Amino acid sequence: MPLETGRAVQDIVTRHLINPGFGLEIFYAFIIIACSLMIYFGTKELYELSSHKGIKYFRQAFLFFALAYFSRIFIKFLLSYSSVAQVLDVSTKAWSGLLALIALPFFMYFSAMAVFSLVFSVAWKKLPKKGITMSVLKFVAVFLALIVLFFRNSAAYLFINLILFFLVLIVVFMAKKSKSKYSLYTTYVLLLVFWILNILDILVPWITVGFQLVLYIVSSGIFLMILYKVLRRTGAS
Amino acid sequence: MAKRNKLEIIRDILLVLRNNRGAMRPTPLLRRSNLSSSRFKEYFGDLKEKEFVKVEGDKNKLVVLEEKGQRFLEKYQTIINFIDEFEL
Repeated sequence: MPLETGRAVQDIVTRHLINPGFGLEIFYAFIIIACSLMIYFGTKELYELSSHKGIKYFRQAFLFFALAYFSRIFIKFLLSYSSVAQVLDVSTKAWSGLLALIALPFFMYFSAMAVFSLVFSVAWKKLPKKGITMSVLKFVAVFLALIVLFFRNSAAYLFINLILFFLVLIVVFMAKKSKSKYSLYTTYVLLLVFWILNILDILVPWITVGFQLVLYIVSSGIFLMILYKVLRRTGAS
Repeated sequence: MAKRNKLEIIRDILLVLRNNRGAMRPTPLLRRSNLSSSRFKEYFGDLKEKEFVKVEGDKNKLVVLEEKGQRFLEKYQTIINFIDEFEL
C-alpha cells in the first residue's frame, strides 16, 4: 500500500502540478489572495483608530475575496486533479465530487459576502438604516449558497449571478456621488463584473471558455490597482 | 459652519487636549469642544473605551491624552484621505 501511495503522489506531481494550466491557476490565486490579505491587514490600523463603517465593510470585502479565492482554487484542484483520491485510497469520483460539492456553497457564500460588503462599503451612508442591513445580506448569501448546493443546474447559477450583477449595478449607481468626476465606482463596477465572471468560471465553466486568460489578467490587474491605491494612501510598506 | 462628523469631533477634542500639554480638567474640555453636555458625555465615553484618553485622579479629575489618541491625531489625515479616495 505505501508503494502505491508513493506512486500516486509521484503521478500527481509529474502529471498535474507541473502542468502549466494548474501553475497559472495557482499563480492567479496567489496574486488575488495576497492582494486581498495585504489590503485587509494594511487597513487594520485605520479601522482600529477610526471605527469607520465604510472602512470596516471595505476590509471585510477583501477578507471574503481571499476566502472565496481559496475555496475557488480548492474546487478547481478537486475538479481538475481528482486523482489525488488515489492517495486516500477511495473512489476518485466520490471523493472529489463530494468535496467539491461541500466547497461550492462556501465559495458562493464568500463570493456573495465579498460583493455585498464592497457594495455596502460605498452605499452604507445612503441606505436606510432599518432597511437592508448586513445581517439581511448574510441571509441572502446563505440562501444563494444553499441554492448552489441543491440546484445543481447551470441555468440556475447563471440566473443567480445575473440577479446579483443587476442588484450591484443598481445599488452602486444609486450611491454614486454626483459631484465626483472620475470616481472609483468605475473600478468597483469592473471589480464586481469580473468577480461575477469568476463565479461563473467555476459554476458555469463553458461561459468563460476562450477568454479565461483575459479574465485572469484583468481580474489580477484590478486587484493590483486597488492594492496600489491602498498602500499609497495608508503608507503601509 | 458645517456640521462636524464623528471623526472631526474626535479630532477636535483630542487636539484641545494635545494643545494643552496632553492633559486638562473635564469642564474646560467640554467648553472648548463646542458640544452639548450630553453629546460630550457620549463622545467622552467613546474616547475612554477606545483608550484614546484616560481619567486620572479622584477629586481633581484630569483627562489625559493616551498614546493611542496621539496616534489617531497622527493618522487622522491618512484616514480622511483613505475614506475620500475609496469613497467610503
